Amino acid sequence: MNYIKKEVKQGINLHNINTNKFKTNLYAVFLATPLSRENVTKNALLTAVLRRGTKNIESQVLISKKLEEMYGASFDCGIEKTGDNHIIKFYLETINEAFLPEKEELDKKCIELLFDIILNPLVQNDGFKSEYVESEKKKLKQIIDGKIDNKRTYSFERCVEEMFKDEPYGLYKFGYVEDLEKITPQNLYQYYKELIKKCKIDIFVSGNLKDTDINNLIENNAEIKALEARKSEYVENKENSEKIPVREEKVVEEKMQVGQGNLVIGLSSNSQIENEKFVMSVYNAILGGGANSKLFQNVREKNSLAYTAGSTFRRQKNTIFIRCGIEIENYQKALDTIKEQIEDMKNGNFTEEDMENAKKLIVSSVKGISSEQDTEITYYYGQELSDTFTTIDDYVTKINNVTKSNIEEVAKEIWINTVYFLRD
Amino acid sequence: MEIIESLKLKEKEYIEKLDNGMTVIIIPKPELDKKYVIWGTHFGSIDNRFIMPNSGEEVFIPDGVAHFLEHKMFEQPNGTNSLDTLMALGLDANAYTTNDHTAYLFECTDNFYEGLDEFMDYVQHPYFTDENVEKEKGIIAQEIKMYDDEPGWRLYMNTMDCMYKENPIKIDIAGSVESISKITPDVLYKCYNTFYNPSNMVMVVCGNFNPDNILEEIKKRLLPHEKQGEIKRIYPSKEKEINKPYNEMEMEVSLPLFAIGFKDMEDNRNKEELVKKHIAIEILLNMIIGKSSDGYKELYEKGLLLAEPDMDYEFSDEYAHIVISGQSQEPEKVKEKVEESINFFLENGLDDEHFNRIRKKVYGDYVVEYNSVGDIARMFLSDKMKGINSFDYIEKYNEVTKEYTETVLKNVFKKDNMVMSVIRGKK
Repeated sequence: MNYIKKEVKQGINLHNINTNKFKTNLYAVFLATPLSRENVTKNALLTAVLRRGTKNIESQVLISKKLEEMYGASFDCGIEKTGDNHIIKFYLETINEAFLPEKEELDKKCIELLFDIILNPLVQNDGFKSEYVESEKKKLKQIIDGKIDNKRTYSFERCVEEMFKDEPYGLYKFGYVEDLEKITPQNLYQYYKELIKKCKIDIFVSGNLKDTDINNLIENNAEIKALEARKSEYVENKENSEKIPVREEKVVEEKMQVGQGNLVIGLSSNSQIENEKFVMSVYNAILGGGANSKLFQNVREKNSLAYTAGSTFRRQKNTIFIRCGIEIENYQKALDTIKEQIEDMKNGNFTEEDMENAKKLIVSSVKGISSEQDTEITYYYGQELSDTFTTIDDYVTKINNVTKSNIEEVAKEIWINTVYFLRD
Repeated sequence: MEIIESLKLKEKEYIEKLDNGMTVIIIPKPELDKKYVIWGTHFGSIDNRFIMPNSGEEVFIPDGVAHFLEHKMFEQPNGTNSLDTLMALGLDANAYTTNDHTAYLFECTDNFYEGLDEFMDYVQHPYFTDENVEKEKGIIAQEIKMYDDEPGWRLYMNTMDCMYKENPIKIDIAGSVESISKITPDVLYKCYNTFYNPSNMVMVVCGNFNPDNILEEIKKRLLPHEKQGEIKRIYPSKEKEINKPYNEMEMEVSLPLFAIGFKDMEDNRNKEELVKKHIAIEILLNMIIGKSSDGYKELYEKGLLLAEPDMDYEFSDEYAHIVISGQSQEPEKVKEKVEESINFFLENGLDDEHFNRIRKKVYGDYVVEYNSVGDIARMFLSDKMKGINSFDYIEKYNEVTKEYTETVLKNVFKKDNMVMSVIRGKK
């Protein structure tokens, strides 16, 4: 395996992925903390404030200049929900030194810059620079308000919110406007200091690099040395997820000025089967995974009801989301057609061939993981947050071992949790 | 086979022009698990009037035919759909239509040659009936409506409307619900027979291939075809000015969207020159409104830009323009700043440190393009359709000097050629 993990200090891990497939090296740092209404907005704002400047490089323009000088190395940060954790992500991608027109020590510069941004923020009056905080608050407000701009992602987010109402996963990853007002440069900085002390920290390095050299650079970095060992607080993702008690399906309709209706349906499962998530994954691929799926074939091809019709499986939450864009007056017809497909799955109305197609689809995407640097990092980080470590090879085997009767067993326990429809 | 090597990138490109006129480009990537093949025809949404080489007949087609044809190519006489067949092999298959070309592709880790059988079979076997053409109209109408609800797409179309009076770039790639209603099997066959002749097509493969072997595998799957003469495409004559400097529209958006355009009226037929010009334009865009520019800094601090705008130079023989787009509470202020920066550079010249730094960044951006088989293959195809070899962006890089870039600034970023389009939220 090209993947090695090493503990730097308790709660802080260094992961090396050795690969010669890319022209670039990718560095990633993830801070994990449990999702909560109290902190979700702070995390989103914090991410934005950190990228504004450090004690050494005081402004974003100076950071940008530095990156441009490093042959357009690209820095990015963002936030993600992974299971019930809120993850603050930082990435720095740079060209591998072998492809530079002239020799330069880019990797060393990358590591210094990355940790400088995350761990050495610009502080004034025992708080972040207030100008940065105020302007990022405004921008974050615009991002939160901008949720409605893309109707497809909006509908999806709304379905998640309704389905996981009053649960951490139902929270919007960018937070809430009303919570923004309470944040000051000082209380945000206090929060940051606590977070850095307690969060789970994972550092990933992917590329054609010598582990020993790069690990030395990281472990000897002054900012990393200054960190304390911690018993990190985060929510471990369980391979056997907790079940939601079956309840009557929740139907939510929302009106907005749109030409096309967006239908999103959340499915839950109550099965007790072993390797449930692998079975769910194959179930999902048969139902709505690709052009061969039941949804694509019946909603789009047979009935011309939609251009997009498919489903995705959110592994950490063991949930399937069906999504389609339809003519508004076709709502009932589309819903009926979708429900027929779910019934079909229950009744075992799918062939061995459907099974094979679905498995090939998943296996092919799993085999492709190592062809993208960030995807490979995300895969191993997913394993890091989970209570079980599955190698890519094991993953493929477990998918291939799913049987038709496994799928039928799970299909009987799958139920419609929430139906969300955005219409005019 | 012709071999072109890029020493800087440590990559090789093998090019073969087959007897039937088709070009095959092979970029071996032995270290990668994924394989990618893309087959393109030089037929896009702008090609709506042409003369068929064999009959000499002049044909006008409804808007959206190239895209409609792309959808219909997957359907087979035995009732199967090739997209399904390819997906069933575990391949990731797709197709897309742009302004100037249509492309069919798949990516995989296993079963490449089984995939290639089906892939080359379906692209060479059209099957259009009254019934299957009718059915597609419903699906494409939904696709058109999906785009109609996307503010970003509407903004782009409105920007084209500012820049051009008659140019077919103004046509929506998918056409309109009304225009596609006129599409018949006869129209589709005429276009297929004209544009899907091998002499109008390019295939690019990228992945772990031996160039000689893969070339043979491709050749043996090609059906015999007579080489056809040149397709005469008829376009409206070049316009010497913009259509209108400004337009705006209301849609449900939280924050206005803006696009600032510069119509490039220069003659771009010299392709090597065009590559250099493209590099210079990318450098200039970064200097004018990129992340480290003074203009961006000021707008960002005032909260008038949330992120670096998207910057793009789009061109073919029929059109060429720059589009800077993003979201801002006050789009006019962004436009003023862009103008101010351009004027400053025109008066004072480009700063050496700034120019060299951005030049390094642009070099890095080109290198990163070589990270995945898909990016590489799509880039080589799309550049080839424009008469460009993708390696030239790395090879010509050194020729783009500060003085050269200053000339491009003067010739392309002209106030008279500047437009703006805005989408505002409903009041």
